[in-house]
Amino acid sequence: MTSVSSSVSEQVASRLSPYIGAFNAQMWIRSVARRSLGISTEELTEAHVDRLLEGLRPFLQTLMGRSTADDLLVQIGREVG
Amino acid sequence: MRVRWFASFPIVYALAFAVVAGTLTGDEGMAPFVAWQRVLTRILAFAGCYAAVSVFESGDHLRRAWLWLGGGTLVILSRDLLRLLIPAFGPGSTSPMALPTLAALGVIANLALLFGIVELSRSWRKASIELPGGRSGVTAFAVLTAAIAILVVGPAALQHAQAFAAGDWGALVLLVSALVDILTLSLITQLLLTAVALRGGLFVWPWALITASQVCWLIYDAAQAYGPALGPSAFPLPDVFRGMAGNFVFAAGMGQYLVVRHVRRMARGR
Repeated sequence: MTSVSSSVSEQVASRLSPYIGAFNAQMWIRSVARRSLGISTEELTEAHVDRLLEGLRPFLQTLMGRSTADDLLVQIGREVG
Repeated sequence: MRVRWFASFPIVYALAFAVVAGTLTGDEGMAPFVAWQRVLTRILAFAGCYAAVSVFESGDHLRRAWLWLGGGTLVILSRDLLRLLIPAFGPGSTSPMALPTLAALGVIANLALLFGIVELSRSWRKASIELPGGRSGVTAFAVLTAAIAILVVGPAALQHAQAFAAGDWGALVLLVSALVDILTLSLITQLLLTAVALRGGLFVWPWALITASQVCWLIYDAAQAYGPALGPSAFPLPDVFRGMAGNFVFAAGMGQYLVVRHVRRMARGR
């Protein structure tokens, strides 16, 4: 396991925060990590990025529409994955 | 970002309204000014809703919300224009078509606006946004908001219900409008707390501005209900807040349009 586990959640959160706020970004990441992956945010690694972003997709789609959310997730996946 | 400009627009508009209204004396100047500025705010609100709809695709949750709000605004705008431009629908008309047509348009518009606010207010649940304050805090705040809404609009709703029960069909639209006001004002909690949860992010803007619109409707209703008790006044105070409510919808729609466009541009690296 790589030692970047906590930084994955921080990296994703830092890319979402300008749009949905730091509080909500952290809540969403925590929620997806726990419900979809069954792990805590500290345990997230680069191997979880795709599934993490997939779990965030419906939340983002509700707020910004499907195509915009998909574009944003592709960008985050490129930068973090 | 230009969202701040749109956010300050309702305040600037209210100040301009107050300055112009302050210079007008007598009903012959005030009545057309108030009526036509109302048309202007409806047009702006519709433009904001249209802009918001344009950044979403068919099937997107918020597209549906803005479509309802835009549709309701368009119907109420057409009702206002009918009353202003066609004598058969104007005040004091004896046309048998006037009352049912205006009442139907008023009811349809109010229901559409209600659906729009309901769709917006349930977004937090659909997007799994955790509202600050926890479940008990949210419930307590929601009960308080509902109580304030009933306190402000309840007496008028009761009065219109009694008039309608006595056979006054003209009171129907007022009754529906009052009931819709109670329901939508009760949803201020969800809108406000969604905005608070999104604080620090660009998406706070549409939620904060639509909350501001609902708060202005609440003050409008309070000014309508309790203003006369404060004494006679020639200044149309309720219309200031009605105008602000419409202009905050315009600002919220433009805010929605600008933030979604901004995210899309950043994500596509433009």
